[in-house]
Formats: sequence, structure tokens, C-alpha cells
Amino acid sequence: MTNHDGTIFFLPGLGFGSASAAPLAAALGDRFRVVGIDLPGHGHTPDAVDGSVSTLADAAVTAIEAEADGGPWLLAAHSMGGKVAALVAARVLSGHANVFGLAGVVLLAPSPPTPEPMDDDTRALMLSWAENGPLAEVDARKFIAQNVASSLDAAVEQDAVGQVRQMSPLAWQRWLNEGSRENISAAVGVIDLPVVVMAGEDDDDLGASAQPRLLGAVYPRARFVSLPATGHLLPYEQPHKLAVEIVRLWESTAAASPEVDPEWGRVIASHRTGAEERSLLARRAIADDLNYAPRALSPGQLATLRALADRLMPQPEARRIDLAARVDADLASGRGDGWRPSGLPDDTSAYRLGLDAIASVWTDDVAQQDALIRRIIAGELLTGAPWGGEVFGRWFEDVRNDLTRTWLAHPASLARIGYDGFATSGPGAEPAGYVSLGADVRDPWEPAELGALISDHANRADENDDSDDPGTTNNTGQARKENAA
Amino acid sequence: MNLNGMRTYEQDDVVDVVVVGTGAGGAPLLARLAERGLRVVALEAGPNLAPDDFTTDEVEAPRINWMSERLSGGDAPTAFGPNNSGWGVGGGTLHWGAFAPRPDVRELNLLTEFGVGADWPVDHAELIRYIVDVERTIGVSGPTGYPWDPEREYLEPPVDRNASADIMATGCARLGIRATDAPAAILSRDRDQAHHGRRLASRNLGTIHQGERFGTKATTANTYLPAAIAAGAEIRPDSMVHGIERDNLGRISAVVYRQNGQERRQRCATLVLAGGGIETPRLLLNTGLANSSGLVGRNFLAHGAVQVWGRFDEQIRGYRGYPSALISEDFVRPDGVDFVGGYLLQSLGVMPLAYATSLVRGAGLWGNELVDALDRWRYTAGIGINGECLPAENNKLVLGDEVDEWGIPRAVVTFTAGPNEQSIDAHAIATMTRILEAAGARDTRVLARTCHTLGTCRMSADPGDGVVDADGRSHDIPNLWISDNSTFPSSLSANPCLTQMALSLRTADRMMR
Repeated sequence: MTNHDGTIFFLPGLGFGSASAAPLAAALGDRFRVVGIDLPGHGHTPDAVDGSVSTLADAAVTAIEAEADGGPWLLAAHSMGGKVAALVAARVLSGHANVFGLAGVVLLAPSPPTPEPMDDDTRALMLSWAENGPLAEVDARKFIAQNVASSLDAAVEQDAVGQVRQMSPLAWQRWLNEGSRENISAAVGVIDLPVVVMAGEDDDDLGASAQPRLLGAVYPRARFVSLPATGHLLPYEQPHKLAVEIVRLWESTAAASPEVDPEWGRVIASHRTGAEERSLLARRAIADDLNYAPRALSPGQLATLRALADRLMPQPEARRIDLAARVDADLASGRGDGWRPSGLPDDTSAYRLGLDAIASVWTDDVAQQDALIRRIIAGELLTGAPWGGEVFGRWFEDVRNDLTRTWLAHPASLARIGYDGFATSGPGAEPAGYVSLGADVRDPWEPAELGALISDHANRADENDDSDDPGTTNNTGQARKENAA
Repeated sequence: MNLNGMRTYEQDDVVDVVVVGTGAGGAPLLARLAERGLRVVALEAGPNLAPDDFTTDEVEAPRINWMSERLSGGDAPTAFGPNNSGWGVGGGTLHWGAFAPRPDVRELNLLTEFGVGADWPVDHAELIRYIVDVERTIGVSGPTGYPWDPEREYLEPPVDRNASADIMATGCARLGIRATDAPAAILSRDRDQAHHGRRLASRNLGTIHQGERFGTKATTANTYLPAAIAAGAEIRPDSMVHGIERDNLGRISAVVYRQNGQERRQRCATLVLAGGGIETPRLLLNTGLANSSGLVGRNFLAHGAVQVWGRFDEQIRGYRGYPSALISEDFVRPDGVDFVGGYLLQSLGVMPLAYATSLVRGAGLWGNELVDALDRWRYTAGIGINGECLPAENNKLVLGDEVDEWGIPRAVVTFTAGPNEQSIDAHAIATMTRILEAAGARDTRVLARTCHTLGTCRMSADPGDGVVDADGRSHDIPNLWISDNSTFPSSLSANPCLTQMALSLRTADRMMR
């Protein structure tokens, strides 16, 4: 139903409305749907009930929920919007937003979760502009001029000035007095997502040199991009460079990991799925870090496990889950499965020893790799192995099981095999479970590929009067409680 | 569950009874003793959970399972973790499958009937009276006019059948095998549970092994434990018992446990161990108590639980609905066989990760073959068994060299299926394959499995032949009792939980004599 690869939700900076996404949208072309959001008091949106960042995030989440299509998306955010975006991303990852598919965040000269660095004179001057209502044209023009490295194209500048003048003076004051000064670090926590932070070298407090210090701990996977001859208004100054970075982030995340069909994404996003389950699926859907540094295994052992994973749980070349990295993270967390074969040491030690033994006999030849795997499973003694053939085979069974379960826990895998049981976890008893239980039928909320609706089924049966097999049709009603005596 | 306002006892109080464990063995007894006016305290190793703490996610759901590692050996190592072991107030009933058949009279008399194994020193009719009591207390649904016991009455009508059950019903009907709606501790109608509140009728959730949050599935946390609290019992979560103290006469005087990192000691007049077939023998071996027979940890029994899955043209999606909605008892004592005992059949729907694990561990699949099998999962319907198991010399639980987080040596459990178990499996595989083929399966696949942990402190009339007597009292220490499935003299083909709850009530009554 969609003809774009994904959606870019754009949270503008102070003074700007959804229209400030237009230059970026033009630069990106048809590949993406760009949805600009009017935060409270901006664009055509009325003021919020208060000036907290949380309230701005509420509005942003509501807007994203309304526009989301279940497919993958990036969150792009400029300046003030960057602070809001941190809270939005945290809520999405925690499952407390009815959306699915967040693949990464692009931050443009963002305001940090901590109190924004801003000198008192600047703040006082900016507040003075809004003392008597909406900004005067001269002040709005001054605001734009102070925030760009070189003058904008006249038409573009006129549009930007118009937006700034349109915004509510109350929202302007609230941001300067409250939102920018809030510390929302505790609510944001650590956002373990692919992130690109772009900032201008000619920006002041939120410029390229300041950003790593402000955001490094919040976004451990952030890549920082420094833009020469650029001020603070990146969406207007550098839309083409933003577009390049967005495409680059997209290629390494949403386009490089298994695709969750938007129809399934909408089921995960819906109220039928519980917040915890949505959070787990959202986090598993995030692309793996290409630079993942192993925490339980050595780099060599991780490489061996990756090579094994390619044979044991094959995936298409283009869209993959780094199963080995995820198993390594699981091992490092110390979480086991409650038992292990006797004769083996603890899980991490066993993995290290077992992988080293496999590495010593591993070759690049796929046929030889598969032959080795078959020998291990058959319990043959491996040269140089730390354990006998049978015990080695049992360790290897754990490896196969860990890789398989890791693959299957990904939402794209669950959708692929036709499992939507996560959507029985929502709060409240109505609706919760299933009504249609029979073969080839589904409930109305389930993805269409899973069967026909009972009403369709009944109509067909009425027309043909051929539903005489209790094993294949009409399995969900009553009148089937007879003993098959 | 709600523990607010419960009666509490001081550690120096000599309470009448301490019960270790709050699952199917501990909870009914706790409630009954409290209702009779005894001062009782239950110690539960795991946390107290609210229904909203459960998750349907299979990776995270083991928060209701005993995840402290156990070691498994033998040809058929027992898989613990999400299978076989509860954690939290409610014990194993938090994750149990709620499949609730009654034991057949013949199953209590294995030695008499076949000359092998052991008889139960328990009268079947008496056990059934207790079972009926349990069924009515917890709410067991099933078909009145049970084909193998026409007099039997269930007060709750059966729950809905899913497509797996329909497939099995079709195959059985075509072969002349009797099959019917399974007895299940799943409510088919809303119910107001005394001292707990509203429990809701089935929403056809297939995720009951991950915990069930509407009270549809009976657990001890929504039945016996609220009744126990109302009658004055105390339940202490997060309390792992690791020591037992005795007085000069050798009688139990206190238990030692760790709660929130603190060593604690509760004095008691009587001790009941209800930690299940692994933790109870582990504690006894670690303390060296009650083992004059040498049988603590011996006679470990696991039910045969082999599955056969058939592939159909239709999308079965057996993860919807109660997973085991159909039963056949036609093979409890099959004709013309040369093995001892028999098996129950149940239709199967399983969760995706559980199925994947069975493909890996039970069928040895990997690579593209595994991916293909997972892709076909939605088209498969399964049938499984609960098959009897005979005791064997080498099937046992011992203490290992390594200690766990509480300083107790880990359990090492060894299990190898013997010739009798293999014969039952082979017969069951042939039967299930025939049923699936009769129902139109294009092909079938066998997944090997075992389930449950029984027999490690078995009951016996003769003190030399078991750890506890017919009432559950230690042969060695008069104020020590065991109320859990470690006391099962034989495995039964009926799943153990319902029988265990009945035995728990019976032991409570015997303690009051």
C-alpha cells in the first residue's frame, strides 16, 4: 500500500513549523515520505497545557502515531526538536507509544537532554522579542540572521521568517524559560539506537565541537558529522547534506536488516500488543551495530560464531541480523536457559573453548564447513576439542538453539512464520485473545495473509454447502463438542 | 498476588508448620492447615508476582521459571529452565499447561499389574475424592460423560478447540480412536474465586505457559494461596531455604534461609518440603537428612513427551487457543503390546520459540532444512504424549561439585530412556503418525522430548523402599513431611499437577490426625 521506502518524521526547532521540513523533503525526493510536525504553539498547532518537554513529546508522539503506517521510519529533529526527540525515542523504545518501526535518529544541532547551554544575554534578548506578542518582522529576521553562517536564499528566508512570526509568543517564552532549562536525562536514559548527529562549525553553543560532549553518553551509537561553513539552521542551510546522511543512515539500518511488513508493524503498534512486548520487538528490530565489540567472546571467537551462524541459521546477504553479536551480548548478560549439559563449564567458558576448537579446523570451503557441522552433530570426536564427541555435540546443540531462538525472536522472523501471538498481550481483557481458532480463518485484526474472516468463510460454505469435514472448516463455533467416539 | 495485610510471624515464634514452596505441592496444604487454625509460614524462593508481571514474550517469560542452572546428563538430558521448574509465588503452577486428566486406577498399581516399578500406597478412590475437591476449588473444565469414565462430571464446560484439536479429532474419528475435549484447569466461564476475586473465562490465549494474567488458568496464586492468606498463613517470597536445624532428639527445629541477601532462621514444630522433584532432594542431600533408605535423588522419572507433527494444506496456527484441547486415553493400557504401562494423547499447539527449540534439540535440524521447517510451522498440527516411565538405576539426581548463588551444590540429573520407554515412544509415534495421516497430513515429523521431574523422594509402605510413607511423612524424621511430585512412586500417564494438589490436601489431613 505504500510506495516509499520509509518515513522521516521531522521535529522542527524553536520558531519553526512543519513547513521547515520542506527543503529536506525536496532534497530526499520520492524515496521517503517526509512528515513535518507542528509542535505545540508552532505552525497551526495551539499552545500546550504547559511548557515541559514531556508535554511537547506527548504532542510529537500523538502526531507520529496518527501518521505512522507500520513501516520503518527515522526520527529527524532540529535544535529544540532534538531535545523532544530524545524523549520521543525513549518512549518508543520503552513500548509506551503506539508506533513501530523506529530505525534510527538524525539530530541536527540538537538541544541536549541536559539544560541547554545559552548565555543570559541571548536568552534575555530573545525573550524581549516576544514580550508584546508575536515576533516583529525585524526581530524574526534578526533571529534567522544570527543563526546562519551565510545568508539564505531570499525566498527561503522569507518563508522562515514567516514561520517564526507565526509561532505563539507563549511557546517561545516557555521554551526559553522552561523547556530549554529542563534536565530530562533521567527520563531519557541511554538511547541504544543508530544515530547521526550533525552540527555546524559556525554554530555557537550547539555547534559541531560541542555536540560529542553533550550527547556522547546519551547516544552511545552516535556518529557525529561536522558541517563546515554552517550555522544553526541546518534544515535551511544544508538540506542536501542532511539528505545524504539520512540516506546513508537508512542504508545501514532499515535497508540492511530484515523487513517487517507494515501490516505486521501496525499490529505491533496497536493496543492489542502490550508495552513490554512492543518494546522488546522494537529493540530487536533495530539494526545491529556494524562495529559491535564483543563483550563475552574475543573478536576471533565472534568471527567464528558469525561464520557458524551463516551455515546454521542462513540469512539472505542483504538483510541480516548479527546473530553472533546478539548471542555474545546474551552471554555477557549472564542470562542462561536454566540448565547445561553435565561435563560442560559455564556458558561463556564453553563458548570460548568450543569456538576455539572449531576455529582450528574451520575452512573457507562451504561443503567442508557443512561436513564438519554434520560430524559434530553426530558426536564424532573433534581433533583438539576440549571435550569428547558426545559432550561437544551437546554444547553445539546449545549453540544451534541459541542462534535459532535469536533469529526467531526478531519481529520480521515472527511475521515470516505467521505468529501474531504477541498481540494478545495488551492491557485489559477486551480484546485480548482469539475468537477464530480454526484452520485457514483469522480474526479481523490479524494480518490478511493468515486466513479468511469467518464471515467470508461462512458465506462460501453457504454457497457451496461443502463444509462436511470437521477437520478443515467451521472449527470455531459451537456444535463441535461431540465426542469422536 | 496480593500479600498486603497478611498475618506475619516472628522468626523466633515456633510456628506450627513451615512449608517450603508455594506450587501444587505446598499451596493446597498451606491453605488447609491455615483453615484448620494452624500457624503456618510458606517460604518461596522466587518473587511475588502480579498478573501484569507476566509477558507473552518467550525470551523474557522465564522470569516465572527456575533459571539457576542445573546440570543434565544421560542420553536424554532433561531440559530445565522454561520447562519443568517454577519460580515465584505460585511455583510451577504459574507456567503449567493446565492439562488436568485424572490418574487411572491401574496406574497406581504398576508393580501388582506388571511386576515392575512400584505401587502407590494410596487408595485410588480416596485419591479421586481429593481430586474432585481440587477440581471444584480451582475450576477444571471438561466434558461430562467422559468416554473412559462415564460417571465423571465436570462443572465447567470444555474450552474451545483450536485447529490442532480439530485435526486430531478428525484423525481419531476416522480410525475409531476415542478422543474428546481435554480436562483443563482453564475457566470456560467467569468465576468469582473465594478470597481472590474475579477470574475471567478463556480468551483462547495460547501463551499460558508464559503466565496468564486474567486468572483464566488456575494457579495456586489465584486459588489456594489467597485462601491460605485469608485463613492467617504468611507467605515470604524471595526466601531460599538452604539449611535445616534439628534438636537433640533429631527432630526438625528450624529452617535456615536467605532473603534479600540476609541469613534468616524460622523456628517451627513441623517442616513440609514442597520444592518439587529437583529442589526437595537437593536440599535433603545437601543437609544429609531423611536418607536412611539411600533413595533421596534416586528413581528419577521423566514422562515421555514425544511429539509428532503433521503438515497440512491449511494454516493451522496452533498457537491460538488452549494448546491441548483434545485428549485420548485409549492408550493408557494399549492392547497387544510388550511394554509396561501406556500413555495419554493430547493435541498440541506450541509457541514459536518452543517449537524451534524442539526442531533443533528434538529433530537435529539446522541450516536451510531448519528454516524450511520453521516456514511450515503455521501449517502443522501436533499430537503429543504423556508416557509412563519406569525407574532405572542410573536415572537419578546427585549433587555436583559446583555451587549455586546460594552456596548450595548444583543438581546433576541423569536420565536415559530405557527399553520400556523406547517401546512406549515407538508405539506412540506410530499411533500419532496414523492419526495425522488419517486427518490428511502430507508428511510428518517426530520431535523427541521428555517432561516433568518425579520420584526422587518416593513414598513407600516399606521404609527401606522409599523416603516418605504413604501420608508423605519422612520414614526417618517424624516432624518432616514432603508434599511434592518427588514422592510419586510411579510416573502415571496422567500429568502430575492435579494429582499433586490432591495429594497435598491429603497430606494436610494426615498431618492433622
